[in-house]
Amino acid sequence: MSVLGYPGASVRPAAAHPHQARGPVGHQFSPYDSNGGSIAAVCGSDFCVIASDTRQSTGYNIQTRYKPKVFRLNDKATLATNGFAADAEAFVSLIRQRLEWYRHAHGRSMPLHSIARMISTMLYGKRFFPYYVYNILGGLDEEGKGAVYSFDPVGSYEREFCRAAGAAQSLIQPFLDNQIMFRNQVSTPERQVPTPGQMTLPEVLKIVTDSFTSATERHIEVGDGLEIYVVRTPTKLGAQAVGAASVDLAALPSAVPQTVDEAYGGEDEQEDGAVMVIRRDLKLD
Amino acid sequence: MSIMEYNGGSVVAAKGKNCVAIASDLRLGQQAMTIACNFDKVFPVTEKTYVGLPGLASDVATLKERFRYRVNMYKMKEEREIEPEVFAHLVSSTLYEKRFGPYFIEPVIAGLNSKDEPFIAASDLIGCLNFAKDFVVSGTAADKLFGMAEGLWEPDLGPEELFETVSQILLGALERDALSGWGAVIRIITPDKVIERTLKARMD
Repeated sequence: MSVLGYPGASVRPAAAHPHQARGPVGHQFSPYDSNGGSIAAVCGSDFCVIASDTRQSTGYNIQTRYKPKVFRLNDKATLATNGFAADAEAFVSLIRQRLEWYRHAHGRSMPLHSIARMISTMLYGKRFFPYYVYNILGGLDEEGKGAVYSFDPVGSYEREFCRAAGAAQSLIQPFLDNQIMFRNQVSTPERQVPTPGQMTLPEVLKIVTDSFTSATERHIEVGDGLEIYVVRTPTKLGAQAVGAASVDLAALPSAVPQTVDEAYGGEDEQEDGAVMVIRRDLKLD
Repeated sequence: MSIMEYNGGSVVAAKGKNCVAIASDLRLGQQAMTIACNFDKVFPVTEKTYVGLPGLASDVATLKERFRYRVNMYKMKEEREIEPEVFAHLVSSTLYEKRFGPYFIEPVIAGLNSKDEPFIAASDLIGCLNFAKDFVVSGTAADKLFGMAEGLWEPDLGPEELFETVSQILLGALERDALSGWGAVIRIITPDKVIERTLKARMD
């Protein structure tokens, strides 16, 4: 394993005898790496849940146990990134800059569907030297409905109810298909199959948490911590809490201790209760 | 392209309360082209023991016949049915015999032993056994099956609950695997009967 951690960095022809002259030393720089981890997002009628694990790794080596992959962009948009961490960092700061410029030009935050299109064009702008990043954008659309947009590294994108990406995509996505989209479920006289996208926040949080604990169990690149961002319409002070805003996140039952915090960061002045973040450990034993 | 993915196909087995389930898809392909959708990869060993053989189709046929031969020889010599635990070791040694030119099959074994205790096991292509307490998966949709099973499975399910759980595990995984699908079959092995059901699945 080389110091720089990419294959081929220390490839050199082996000398037959140590006293013999060494042949030419070849160096090949690889600009990409894969840093593991997994992300997922699920939307409900008036909220959106964007989650990721917090491990960052190269190969079998854990670089850190806490490196957030989910970023609050503004009150209505949160972005999850997965793939090559350096590209992700550069890409998110570029998005932040573009959102600030938009605010200066238009005097308001960029709506979610516009952020989605912007991300697409920014990714395609580097079509022949791509950002090696899988993005999932979650938030509220202009009608206040939950929305999930998923992207490939070169900008192809789609609006969906739910999406998993990253190392454990193949473990999580079929589970979400079954539990969020109700695929392969049929109605019986005892139980009517619900329509997708109508679940309550506690139900969605439970499924998302289970997805990551399952992925932690069976995938070596997933673990350490879980960070779940919840984007909702903030309830006005003194008003009766409605919909997702009425859910007391601290009251969610869990055997593992979890913290609920206001999420910080992003380009707008923040409204309390718009974006929350739930944090917990993922199997430290 | 790996030879393990040439024909496609997947198998899953899971334990329940006094029962086991073993299920597989029905696809036989040649890389992206589907050849048949009646290719059952699960075979009876005894009345209460089944073996699933996902992998290279020619080796499925070969191993099926080799196991039939060796189980028949065992029955004649021992004058009793082979136990699933014993069969698992038979599978293991049969595969390890070909350590440096292996059969491209990763078998799954499920059954009830003579005390009607549930038993499941899986092996890699050279015979490394995995005696799981919960579920085992194998084939081209193995990682999807792991994700589904880890989320849906729970201990001590009755035969009908186990049927529903394993069916959802398999169907969910098949929908996200291009090389598996085109029908599915499940067998629930209980002390007094084996329930065999063909599942309605997406045919794409």
